[in-house]
Amino acid sequence: MDGDSSTTDTTQLGITGEYMTGGTYVLQTQDDDGDESFNDHEDGNGGKEHFREQDIYLPIANVARIMKNAIPQTGKIAKDAKECVQECVSEFISFITSEPLKLYLQKFREAMKGEKGITPVTVSEGLGEELTDDSFTGQLPAGLITADGQQQNVMVYTTSYQQISGVQQIQFS
Amino acid sequence: MSEKNMEEKVEHATNSKNVSLPMSRVRLIMKSSPDVSCINQDALFLTTKATELFVQHLALSSYKNGSGKETNTLSYSDLANAAEEKETFQFLTDILPKKILARDYLKSLEEMKKDDDNL
Repeated sequence: MDGDSSTTDTTQLGITGEYMTGGTYVLQTQDDDGDESFNDHEDGNGGKEHFREQDIYLPIANVARIMKNAIPQTGKIAKDAKECVQECVSEFISFITSEPLKLYLQKFREAMKGEKGITPVTVSEGLGEELTDDSFTGQLPAGLITADGQQQNVMVYTTSYQQISGVQQIQFS
Repeated sequence: MSEKNMEEKVEHATNSKNVSLPMSRVRLIMKSSPDVSCINQDALFLTTKATELFVQHLALSSYKNGSGKETNTLSYSDLANAAEEKETFQFLTDILPKKILARDYLKSLEEMKKDDDNL
C-alpha cells in the first residue's frame, strides 16, 4: 500500500483506514468529498469520529504565548500544563458553543409554535447559567448589537430563511 | 508595580481588535458541536476573543492559586487544583483529573482489597 491518502482506497478496502504515515492522515469509509479538509459536513455526524490532533486543538504556540502574557514576567510554564490548557480551550469553545445553542433552539421551537418574533439569545444569558463568575461575561470586548435600542452582547446563529429584525451590524469601538 | 503592568497588558489585549488565535481553527471546533450549521462572523470573533480571555483567566488564577511564590512555575497540578476548587472551572474537572503516581494507586488498591478481605 503506498502512502497515498485518497479516500477511494479505503472505500475499496471497506475498512476505516487510519494511516499513520508521517502526517497522520485519517481516512473514513463514508462518501467524503475531501480527504483532508473537514469543510462543511452538513449531513452526518456519523463519519466524524477521527480528527487530526492539529484540527481539534488550537496551536500550542499561540496558547502558550497568551498564558505567558497573563502570568508575571518571571514565571515559567510546564510543558504538560501547556498541553492540557490546549485541551481545556477546545473544551471551552465547545462548551460556549453548545450552551447558547440549547437556549436558542428552545426559544426557536417556542417561537415556531407561537409564531412570535425571535429575540436574539444573549451570550451572557447562555453563559450565566453555567459560569457563575460574572466578571467573565463582563470582560467581553465591545461587540455590541443594538436591538430595540438596547445594547447587548449577542451571539447570533443564523439559519437560511430567518431574518432577525431590528438587529444592526456590530460596531467595534 | 509589575502587577500593575500586568493588568495594563491584560487590559490592552482585552480591548484590542486583534486576536492571537486562528479563527479558522476556532470555527472548526465550533462546528464539531452537533446542530451547528452556520456561524455568524461576529459570533466567531466574539468566541475567539472570549477564548483568549479564558486562557488568561485560567492561567492567572491557577498560577496565583498554586505555587506562585515558591517554584515560580505553572504546573499541571496547579491547573487541576484550580479546576476542582473554582466553580467557574468546574466544567474542566473531567479533562483535568488530579494525577497520582502508579505505585500510590496500586498501594491504595491493595488496601481496598485488604478491607474487602477483612469484611
